[in-house]
Amino acid sequence: MDFSHYAPLWGEALLTALAVLVVLLGSLMKDSGKLMGYLSAAGIVAALAIVANTLTIAKPAIFFFDTVSVDALSQFFKAVFLIVSLLVVIASLSKYTGKGADVYYALLLFATVGMMVVASSVDLVTLFVGFELASLSTYALAAFDKSKKNLEAAMKYFIFGSVSSAFMLFGFSLLYGMTGSTKLADIAAASLGNFGPATLVALLFVIAGFAFKMALVPFHMWAPDTYEGAPALVSAMLAAGSKKMGFAAAFRVLLIGLIALRMEWYLAFAILAAVTMTLGNLAACWQDNVRRILAYSSIAQAGYIAIGFVVVGAAYGAAPVTAFNGLAVPAAQLGIAGALLLILGHALMKTGAFIGTAQVASMVSASSEKDPDDISNYAGLAQRAPITAFCMLIFMFALAGIPPTAGYIGKFVLFSSAIYSGLLWLAVIAILNSALSLVYYLRIISYMYLKEPAGPKVSEPKGYVVALVLTLIAVVWIGVFPQSFVDWALQAAAVLLPQ
Amino acid sequence: MIANAISLMIIVPLIGALVSFFAGSKAKFVALLASLIPLVLSLQMYMEFDKTSKIMQFVESYNWVPTLGVKYTVGVDGIGFPLLFLSTIVTVLVIIYSWGETKKPNQYFALLLLNEVGVLGVFTALDFFLFYIFWEIVLIPMFFLIGSWGGPRKDYAAIKFFIYTHVASLVMLLAIFALYFTYQLPDGSRTFDMLTLLQATSDKTIFPTSLLNIIFAGLLLGFLVKMPAFPFHTWLPDAHVEAPTAGSVVLAALLLKMGGYGLFRVIMPMLPNVDKAFVTIIAIIAVLSIVYGAFMALAQKDIKKLVAYSSVSHMGFVTLGAVAFTWMSIQGAMFQQFSHGIITCVLFMSAGTIQHVVGTRVIADLGGLADRMPKFAVLMMAGFMASLGLPGMSGFVAEFMVLTGSYPTLPTYTIIVVFLSVATTAAYHLWAMQKAMFGPILKKYMNVHDPHSYELFSMAMIIVLTLIFGIQPGLITDMMGTAATQLMEPVVTLTQMGVI
Repeated sequence: MDFSHYAPLWGEALLTALAVLVVLLGSLMKDSGKLMGYLSAAGIVAALAIVANTLTIAKPAIFFFDTVSVDALSQFFKAVFLIVSLLVVIASLSKYTGKGADVYYALLLFATVGMMVVASSVDLVTLFVGFELASLSTYALAAFDKSKKNLEAAMKYFIFGSVSSAFMLFGFSLLYGMTGSTKLADIAAASLGNFGPATLVALLFVIAGFAFKMALVPFHMWAPDTYEGAPALVSAMLAAGSKKMGFAAAFRVLLIGLIALRMEWYLAFAILAAVTMTLGNLAACWQDNVRRILAYSSIAQAGYIAIGFVVVGAAYGAAPVTAFNGLAVPAAQLGIAGALLLILGHALMKTGAFIGTAQVASMVSASSEKDPDDISNYAGLAQRAPITAFCMLIFMFALAGIPPTAGYIGKFVLFSSAIYSGLLWLAVIAILNSALSLVYYLRIISYMYLKEPAGPKVSEPKGYVVALVLTLIAVVWIGVFPQSFVDWALQAAAVLLPQ
Repeated sequence: MIANAISLMIIVPLIGALVSFFAGSKAKFVALLASLIPLVLSLQMYMEFDKTSKIMQFVESYNWVPTLGVKYTVGVDGIGFPLLFLSTIVTVLVIIYSWGETKKPNQYFALLLLNEVGVLGVFTALDFFLFYIFWEIVLIPMFFLIGSWGGPRKDYAAIKFFIYTHVASLVMLLAIFALYFTYQLPDGSRTFDMLTLLQATSDKTIFPTSLLNIIFAGLLLGFLVKMPAFPFHTWLPDAHVEAPTAGSVVLAALLLKMGGYGLFRVIMPMLPNVDKAFVTIIAIIAVLSIVYGAFMALAQKDIKKLVAYSSVSHMGFVTLGAVAFTWMSIQGAMFQQFSHGIITCVLFMSAGTIQHVVGTRVIADLGGLADRMPKFAVLMMAGFMASLGLPGMSGFVAEFMVLTGSYPTLPTYTIIVVFLSVATTAAYHLWAMQKAMFGPILKKYMNVHDPHSYELFSMAMIIVLTLIFGIQPGLITDMMGTAATQLMEPVVTLTQMGVI
């Protein structure tokens, strides 16, 4: 049998094999935590190289009886997931080295594989399997440090996650019942209009299922508790990776499978987006725990990203009346591209920010009664841990959308697409929210830079520093040289639209 | 002429900022060098600047994000060059004035240089995308200057400054988007090119008045907040009172000018095509800023706050001159930008020096300082005289031109200004001066003495400049006159100019 046909999927295969190997070796060898970390990092880099090979694949490659598609969109998301998990692994090298670390890395790898499967799946069952693989791995990861807080966070995450999976699955089953197929292309081809209210119920369940993962208000309750309670590096994976998986799935299912219902989900997302960003930002202003602030900020960012759906709903099928640099780009494509850029940017910024919180928490002495993530621990961070503080500073500005950073480029393209498609009201809300978010980002910055240090200077663990600096470079690089990223996102966005 | 002069002027302080950040106690030397190079370049540019030419000069244009129609385009004309010149001068003098800074000097000087990068970028960018980036970059150094080196309420002031002006910038960004998405180049592609978009706004078929009104209002808000004009000025007194002296100087001398620059570069070419009600609105805002600023200054107890309100008042003249739309008023308004930019330096430096020599800025607690600080008193007096509009100094020329030029088109407003502000302005300057510096010296101040020579040097240099430009305003108003002529005609794009 010729396996070279499956070359675009070797990345997934490699990581799966590696995850099994890590568990096996880990149980055979003693004190192999660090080695397993390096092994995982190497595997992810290799997978990234494989994905990079097909980054802008022109014609989608379809596998396994039309259930898995390798196209520009799937590769975009896979690249995001792999980068996030690489950064998390690098940072973890400074923390998870002892007993049980092999399991940690194996779970991270499994979660990554699950997300990659979701990114590629064009079939509801495949998608669900990928979703669950990623979710189950992250449930375990959320409790990995086995502290009381960990367990509570993981429990909440697990319960909410299972309920959302159930919702999603129920929605899928309705769709299957109505159309007789689980393939998105078939669902799109079936005339869903004939089924009356049942389609709406299906849509409602599907959106609710995804919205839990994406943490859109009112399905966001679990996020602050989980991001606060889980180990900080796992929170990075959750906010930056697992959450984006929700978007990857929603893009495929709604924009390809359920595009006929766009007038319905368009409205739902318009409301979800506006409410999510406003509530997320407002709630973040009242928090004293930095990880909770980041959690709410991540909820708000999900609200911005959801604008992408609204733009598509509003402008789908409209003729490409514009041209950029001679390219005809419909508003819908620009909207998706903006959402993708923000997903990429947010994944980087949030990973960085959570790694930063891990560094700060490690500086707080274990005996202290104080909450290790309390904002008062950030006082004078610029003097205590200058590299961490500087990276955090840039991430905060980037999250707030200050140029020239990745966060700015994403928002720029996304908000402009909203205006382009006539959604001025939404763009205004988004921009006001963007300004509101400065309140809490500046608060963290002012603690780090303007307050007297809360303790002596500390040494910054190498793993954290490497991960932070890499993230920093990426965030600024995308901001200063956005050209290739904009083109890439536009290409990925084109996959979702009729040619 | 060195090729890419403008880019070089932007890059040198940027590199300088990085180097001084890591230079420790040597930072001030690095900073001085990194700020002198742009000054030399701008002097060289001044020599080569064609004052009669209406086209953009020293233009550089490169593709940046072609997919989105974004270019890196910089260039200067009679509107931008005087401010670029001002920025390079002020930065050098501020760095000299701050020579004795001991608190985290490496960061301090790095921020001053970073600030220069931002303002130079704003005054030269000819692409809205680029313009907006520089516009926002400026916020960051100023946030830290206020927040790290500021007074007791520095956190509040820094955050208020950042958020207030950022909100206004975002509104401006929305308006930029609207311009961008409404206009297409003949080949169908989009552009952020400022001149092309501004030229297109005069085309009623592309930009109907109703749409243009909204865009115009968004842009105007962005600029008025930065200037700042009444009633959007409330961030300014807080920022100034808490900022360190160098921060205040840069804020008043350069950052406020960004708003004024926006009026000339963006607002004025659009003004003839929008609803005429805007003229009235802007004129009222201008008059209110002038009068309100002057009266508020009169009521201040803190000398620095007094100077801050005087900025509101003086920047009102810029708005008034711009909206009056006569050749002389426009030229006067531009000159007021330049002139206020240098004069305000000496005022804030005076306030700063009083603060660190005497330990208080409350006017009522001061008295007779001239006795112990004679050199300083002379310079401060000269600065205050320049600010109140003493003939022979640049402030007089600028305000005279604005008032004379505005009378034909906006007589009522001009008369209100003359009646309500001229005497008030003189009053608060003289009152503050008299109370703080003259009269019998208070016992507790027997031991104070003149400040360091570098502080006096900076102040003296500015007084010299005020005199030079007060006696020979043509040195800089010639190019402003050309720009004013140009502003009263339709915009000419870079392509039409044949520069790219």
